[in-house]
Amino acid sequence: MESLVRPLYSSSTILSPKPTNSSVPLPIQLLPLKPISSTFSLSTKLPLPSRSTAYVLYATQESQVSEVESQVSEVVNNETREWAMQDFYSLRKDVETVSERVEEIRASAGLRQLEQELVALESKAADSSFWDDRARAQETLLALTDVKDKIKLLTEFKTKVEDAETIINLTEEMDSSIDSGLLEEANGIIKELNKAIDRFELTELLSGPYDKEGAVIFITAGAGGSDAQDWADMLLRMYVRWGEKQRYKTRVVEKSPGEGAGIKSATIEVEGRYAFGYLSGEKGTHRIVRQSPFNAKGLRQTSFSGVEVMPLLPEESLNVEIPEDDLDISFSRAGGKGGQNVNKVETAVRITHIPTGVTVRCTEERSQLANKIKALSRLKAKLLVIAEEQRASEIKQIRGDAVKAEWGQQIRNYIFHPYKLVKDVRTGSETSDIAAVMDGELEAFIKAYLKYKYSMAMSSPPSV
Amino acid sequence: MKLSVTHVFAVPNFSIWIKPSLVRNLHQSVCCYSLKSAPPTSLKPQIPLFLRPPTHTATLSDLKKWHEWAKSLASSVGTAFVDLDNGPDSSLLCRELKWLMEDVTKDRLLPCQIPSEKLQGNVGLRVSLEDLYRLWKQRIEERRPFQYIVGCEYWRDLVLCVEEGVLIPRPETEQIVDMVADVVSDNEGLRKGLWVDLGTGSGAIAIGIGKILNSWGRVIATDLSPLALAVAAFNVRRYDLQDIIELRQGSWFEPLKDSEGKLTGIISNPPYIPSSHISGLQAEVGRHEPVIALDGGVDGMDDLLHLCKGAASMLKPGGFFAFETNGEEQCKRLVDYLETDAGDSFLSVKIMPDFAGIHRFVTGFRK
Repeated sequence: MESLVRPLYSSSTILSPKPTNSSVPLPIQLLPLKPISSTFSLSTKLPLPSRSTAYVLYATQESQVSEVESQVSEVVNNETREWAMQDFYSLRKDVETVSERVEEIRASAGLRQLEQELVALESKAADSSFWDDRARAQETLLALTDVKDKIKLLTEFKTKVEDAETIINLTEEMDSSIDSGLLEEANGIIKELNKAIDRFELTELLSGPYDKEGAVIFITAGAGGSDAQDWADMLLRMYVRWGEKQRYKTRVVEKSPGEGAGIKSATIEVEGRYAFGYLSGEKGTHRIVRQSPFNAKGLRQTSFSGVEVMPLLPEESLNVEIPEDDLDISFSRAGGKGGQNVNKVETAVRITHIPTGVTVRCTEERSQLANKIKALSRLKAKLLVIAEEQRASEIKQIRGDAVKAEWGQQIRNYIFHPYKLVKDVRTGSETSDIAAVMDGELEAFIKAYLKYKYSMAMSSPPSV
Repeated sequence: MKLSVTHVFAVPNFSIWIKPSLVRNLHQSVCCYSLKSAPPTSLKPQIPLFLRPPTHTATLSDLKKWHEWAKSLASSVGTAFVDLDNGPDSSLLCRELKWLMEDVTKDRLLPCQIPSEKLQGNVGLRVSLEDLYRLWKQRIEERRPFQYIVGCEYWRDLVLCVEEGVLIPRPETEQIVDMVADVVSDNEGLRKGLWVDLGTGSGAIAIGIGKILNSWGRVIATDLSPLALAVAAFNVRRYDLQDIIELRQGSWFEPLKDSEGKLTGIISNPPYIPSSHISGLQAEVGRHEPVIALDGGVDGMDDLLHLCKGAASMLKPGGFFAFETNGEEQCKRLVDYLETDAGDSFLSVKIMPDFAGIHRFVTGFRK
C-alpha cells in the first residue's frame, strides 16, 4: 500500500483537500431546469482541467472550505501519508458508486429497448416511400435523432466510468510510476458524470410530451360548506406560493367566493418551463383533517377538495378535432326573458365531452365567445393529457370510466389534528412540517411522485 | 398626407379626454370634424376607462381600502336585486368589481394581486381614487350598468365602447354573427355582397359581420341616434373597418333608398320589448339604457314587422335576413307574417333558439 501512496504524497498540494460529496447526487432542483443537451459530451463540453489549471481550481476551493475542514487538513498535513491514502480510497469508492449508478441508469433508461427502437426507426427511414409523407418523415427523423443521442449519452456514461476505473486499477497495480494527474482526471470524470447523470435523470422524469409546458390548476371545494371551501382556499394559497417560489408567473385568473368563507372554485395559470411536468402529479382529491374553525365545538372535521391540472398549451399545438356532436356546451343563463330584457355579466361556459364525461368550465373571460374558446382549448388540453396517460393514440380511445376513477383519486392527506402530518397516499412520502407545506414547500412530494411515476412506467410493459 | 390627417382626428387627444362629459358639451356647441365613415355630427364618444392614460396614482394601501369597501358594498346586496327585479347578486357584482379594477389600474391588476403584506408603493390609475368611490356607488346605489361605468362591453372577441344613450350589446346577439358566418361560409355571392345592420347602436353586429366578410363585402350600419353613430364610428375605427363599414343616420330603411332590391343581407336587433313591460325591467336596463332601443310598441312587434315588410323590397333574390326577437311568441307571429302576409317573397324561414333555449331569432332568404 505504501507504494500506492507515494506518488500522491509527492503531489499532496494538488490533491488536498479533496472536494467533498463528489459521489452524492445533487438534490434535484426544481428550477431552473434546462433540458439536457442532446449532444452532451463529456470530452468536448466539459473539458477536464489541465494540470496547470488544477492548482488554481483547488486553490480556490481550499479558500472556500469551512473552518472545520481546514482544521482537518492541518491535521492531515502532519500525517500526509495517511490522508492521501484515505483520499485514494475515497476516490475508489466514488468510482464504484458511479459505476453502479451508470449501470442502473442504463438499465432503467431501457438501453436495450432503445437499441431496438433505433433499428426500427432506421429501417423505417430507409424505406423507399419514407418521404411520401413529409411531416411524418420529419417526425421519424426527429425521433431517430433523439434515440441516437440518448444511446450516445448512455454509451458515453459507460466509457467515462470505465476510464475512471482504469485509472484506479492502474494505480493499484502499478508501483511508483503513476502520475497523480491521472487521479485528478478520474476525480474530474466522476464529478462531471454525477452532474450529467443528475441532469439525465431529471429530464427522464420530465419527459412527457407536455411536461415542459405551463399549467392550469383548477381547484374545486368538495361538499361540506364552509369547511371544504376554506380548505380549497388554503390549497389555492399553497399552489400560488409554490409557483411564486419557483419564480413562475402565477396568476389566479378566476376565483368564485364561497358563501361564508373560502372559495367554491379557483383557476390558477402557471406560466414557465416544466410547470406542468411538476404539477401534473398534484391532480386528485386532497383531504384535510382538522378541528373545524367553523364549529363552536371545534369538532374534528374531514374535508375534501379536488385539484385538476392541465397543460397550458399554445393554440397551434391543440390540433385535435372534436366532433361538434360530442360536445355539450352550456352557457350560464341570466334567467327570465333574456335578450334586451336582461343585463348581467354572466358569460360562463361549461363544456362536457360526452363520450368521456370530461368537463371543463371557463368563467374568467368577459365575453361568452372568449369563454367558449378558452374552455374548448382547456378541454382539448385535458383530453390530450388523458389520452397520453392512457396511452391512447387518439381521443376516441379514451376510457371515460378510468378518467373518473383516476382524476378523483385521493392523493394526499393533510392532518392538522390530533397530530401534524402530510402524507402522500401514492408515494408514502410524508412530513410533519405541515406549515411549510401549506406555504408552498411541495418539492419533496413532487420529486417523490415523479420518481414513483417513472419507476411505475419502467416496470410496466412497454407500449407497442 | 391625407392618412395622417384622418389619424389625428381618429385618435382623441387623451389629455383633453380625461373629463369626457365636459369635452362633449364643448363639442356640442362647436361644430367639429366628422369621421370619414360617420354622418355629420357634433358628438364625440366618451373614452372607456381602459383606454385612458394612467395619469392618476394611489398608494397600494388606499387602493386596497377602496377595494375592500367596494367588496363589502357588493356583499351587502346579497340577493336583494335578484328578488327585486332579477338583477345581479353579490357574486356577479364581485366579478364586475374585479373587472373594474382590471380596467382602471395601469397594469391590469387583479384584486388578488395586491400583496397583503407589502402595501408601500403606488399604483397608476386611469381615474382618480375619488372617482372610483363615486363610480362604484353609482353601480350599487343607482344600479348604473357596469358597462357604462367602465365604458365598454366585451362582446364576442371584441371590446366595444358604450355609453349612456347606446344599447349595451347582449351575449345572445353574439349568435347572429355566427349565423351570418354560416350562410356566407359556402356562398361566395353572399360573402361579396352589401349587408346592412339596422339600428346598429354600438356597431356590434356590423363590426362582427364586417370582420367575417373581410374585404370581400361591405356593410352599411344605420341608426336614428347621432350619439349611437358616433360611438359606432369610434368602434369601427378601433377595429380598422372604416373601409368596409359605412355609417348612415336615419330610421330603418330610410337612409338606404339608393339600395332598394340590392341588399345581400339585412340583420337587426330592433327594439322588441312591449311598452307595458318597460317599467318592470331590471333597473340596469329600464332606468339607464335608451328606451328608444328597447320599446317595440304595444306588443313589441312594431319595428320587427316594419323590418319584415321592408325586407321583401330591399333584399335582392337569394338575400338573407336575421332578426332578434323577444321570444317564442314574437318568433311565431313573424314566421306567420313572412309565410302568409308577405306574399310569396321568402323561403327557408326558420326560428333559431338562443343558448338558453329561448326561441330568439327568425332567419330566412328572399326568393
